[in-house]
Amino acid sequence: MIQTDLWPQVQRLARRAERPSRYLGSEWGATRTTDADFSFCMAYPDTYELGQPNQAVRILVNAVAAMEGVAAERAFLPAPDMADAMRDAGVPAFSLESCAPLREFDVVGITLPHELAATNVLELLDLAQIPLRAADRAVDDPIVIGGGPCAMNPEPYAPFFDAISVGEGEESVPELVAAVWAGRAAGESRQQILRRLAQVQSTYVLSLYRVLDADEAQRQSSWVVPLEEGVPPVIVRRVFEGFAESDAWEPCVVPFAEAVHDRLNVEVLRGCARGCRFCQAGMMYRPVRERSVDNIVSAVLRGLDETGYDEVSLTSLSTTDHSQIEEILTRLNRACAGRGVRVSVPSQRLDSFGVQMAELVAGQKKGGLTFAPEAGTQRLRDIINKNVSEEDLFCAIDAAMAAGWRRVKLYFMVGLPGETDDDVKGIASLAQRAYDRMKAATPPDQRGSLAMTVSVALFVPKAQTPFQWDGQISREEALRRVGLLKRSVKYRAVRVSYHDPQTSFVEAVMSRGGRACADLVQAAWEAGARFDAWTELFNEEAWRTAADKVGLVPETIAEATYDTDYVMPWAHISAGVTQEFLAEERQRAQEGLTTQDCTFDACTVCGVCMQTGTRNQLAAPRSMPEGGRERHG
Amino acid sequence: MADPRLFRLRVRYAKSGRLALLSHLEVARSLERAVRRAGLPFAVTNGFSPHMRIAFGAALPVGVGGIDEFFDLYLTDYVAPEKALAALAAVSPADLMPHGAAYVEPTAPAASVACPLSAYRVTFDGPIGRALVVPEQVEVVRKKKRKVLAVDDFLVGDIRACEDGCAVEFTLEAKPTGSLRPDVLVEAMVVKTEAGASSGKEQAAGAGGDMRADASAHEATCAPLPAVRSIVRISQK
Ligand code: SF4
Repeated sequence: MIQTDLWPQVQRLARRAERPSRYLGSEWGATRTTDADFSFCMAYPDTYELGQPNQAVRILVNAVAAMEGVAAERAFLPAPDMADAMRDAGVPAFSLESCAPLREFDVVGITLPHELAATNVLELLDLAQIPLRAADRAVDDPIVIGGGPCAMNPEPYAPFFDAISVGEGEESVPELVAAVWAGRAAGESRQQILRRLAQVQSTYVLSLYRVLDADEAQRQSSWVVPLEEGVPPVIVRRVFEGFAESDAWEPCVVPFAEAVHDRLNVEVLRGCARGCRFCQAGMMYRPVRERSVDNIVSAVLRGLDETGYDEVSLTSLSTTDHSQIEEILTRLNRACAGRGVRVSVPSQRLDSFGVQMAELVAGQKKGGLTFAPEAGTQRLRDIINKNVSEEDLFCAIDAAMAAGWRRVKLYFMVGLPGETDDDVKGIASLAQRAYDRMKAATPPDQRGSLAMTVSVALFVPKAQTPFQWDGQISREEALRRVGLLKRSVKYRAVRVSYHDPQTSFVEAVMSRGGRACADLVQAAWEAGARFDAWTELFNEEAWRTAADKVGLVPETIAEATYDTDYVMPWAHISAGVTQEFLAEERQRAQEGLTTQDCTFDACTVCGVCMQTGTRNQLAAPRSMPEGGRERHG
Repeated sequence: MADPRLFRLRVRYAKSGRLALLSHLEVARSLERAVRRAGLPFAVTNGFSPHMRIAFGAALPVGVGGIDEFFDLYLTDYVAPEKALAALAAVSPADLMPHGAAYVEPTAPAASVACPLSAYRVTFDGPIGRALVVPEQVEVVRKKKRKVLAVDDFLVGDIRACEDGCAVEFTLEAKPTGSLRPDVLVEAMVVKTEAGASSGKEQAAGAGGDMRADASAHEATCAPLPAVRSIVRISQK
């Protein structure tokens, strides 16, 4: 039970910290339950600015706070300066609402937003004075539960968590909290409580499984097998079926510190069935569930009133795919006129960005427009199932220039399976022709302000995608291809920026690694790695030292390519999309065949609806604007 | 800025408690959001990205509170001040609470320069036991450039002890060319006052036995100062 108030100690340190507002709590919208019998803390393994806007933190704190008698609080990883000061002063990691030590909570949830947060999980547990490994925790230590995107391959994190919740947590997290509470109330041992958790649908309780060696894993089609009766051999992702009907207004905290995406975020739909073969999100949030126009519009207006934000973003993986996006934007633009409120849509789909859309989201003009063709040639776009054509891009650019945009950013990947040097040069060619198109569509006196950025990232193979069996190219090869791209770009107005392949490499290792990777993570953290996602703090040396220490060759993990009958370390986790579908998709990729989107065409039997007992829920039938998306199948 | 069709409401508020640790920008953003939550008929600027017409008083640094801060809000419709105040109070965090509202002339000086004189109170954890030494100048770093400020240019009057010797008050004047931050001055005074103590001790230790009596005489006046508990702007003129 939480009881200690660390504020007097924290205040002394916060005063000297780089940005004290990270540690204050007491924001508008934050709630504190003082007479609770049970407590849950949702922690984010990075700083406040990054974690506060996180959707999982917001949703899960609300979901648990709705339980009678339970206090639900938030915690974030202190920035390095504060973390060091806290260690020196012996002040443990704390929650924001009560400023209570994390270790006093009954349940601590940690979301795993991306592969570079692994060492931060250990940094947080260590600062919280909670034993790093679940096996070392005592009766009254918190039950530590993980979740989020990285649960698609939880193995590198497995030993640090008592349980991992796979999939959407709106329903499962309150169920897990209730299960721990029941166990604690009955005076049960940790092991007994963990058995209760294994009964909650979509929960992976590591200590109830035996880890197999590589040969046995291939024979048994899984790297882990249940130790006892009643423990599921395969954990299927949880899907929140009530999403579409649930209120789109999700109460939120309004931070004092300037957070990333510091605005009202309203989730308009969940899931994307476009089926890009490299994309984990596209596989792990199916089926597609759209909220209704009325639900969305009233949530935005209520949210603006209650938070005081002057910007609202309609979030999802592909907002412009919403069957009624035009009506939503029209109604919102009308309702917000004269209030100094900006309505924005996070990323633009190339093939649905027509003239009308360009006008409806015109308020975002100054920020520039971002499109993601991902690959430079049609051949490679077919391989990755990115169903957009050059013509889609050019039409989108025409519409954008006509509506007043002057800056365009194009996202590409290098190192995609099947990529050749021609595809790399194709990026340069496409970007330059797109720039020509920008010029042609802009009045001569305004051409001086035109700018194009080509942003390239290294392909990272992700668990539960058709490309999970495909290795990453080496960093040397990545740099060679980026060099080739840079040399191929002749226009001075087209700027090429690329993401450090070093961190993409660690991402690949963490995305594909098995249980042995947990030792690697711990050794890396012990050698000083933390905040790996922060370019200026990424500590390559620590990861090198760690690999040597634990005797792993991380290149093998990132770069090996397998046949589809090879059993990957996450075979016991299912996103709902079947391994057969993933294997078939990889086969089609190799044959250059595309696969349709089931929200526009027939079901392609990916397996999600059958395995999770759900279906696509669209607010209205989807259709493409004229000219868009003719080619598929 | 003066638009005769708009109503200029000056709202007074306190920056207190843990929110004293907010930066000026964070306070400004928070107040603006409170205005929106309160549903007041605020005016917006014209142009490409319209924003609220609101102007803030002189900035307070991170860690410095204020009991009578203010901002000017431009309204398109008249709202009775007490009604506006009640609406704001209902949607404000406790440590950033408004406590007054009144209309001011549209032609009155801008909020940021309306009150060049600020009085501050510095509270220590215990009795200070002696007069604080005011340095002649302080060095500050602004945009990576070192700058030396003469304290006399900004300090108006004396450092006044109060609250049974546990606090001091002083007044600083903001100049068009810049200002001296109260927390910077306090830090410099503490260093200067304590330096008197340590240099005295060094002398004693280095010079041998016969200086000892002298050293202990120093001790009463030259012990480290109690920690600074808070710095608060108590008034602005
Ligand atoms: S099972 Fe069919 S309808 Fe459901 S998400 Fe998969 S492809 Fe779409």
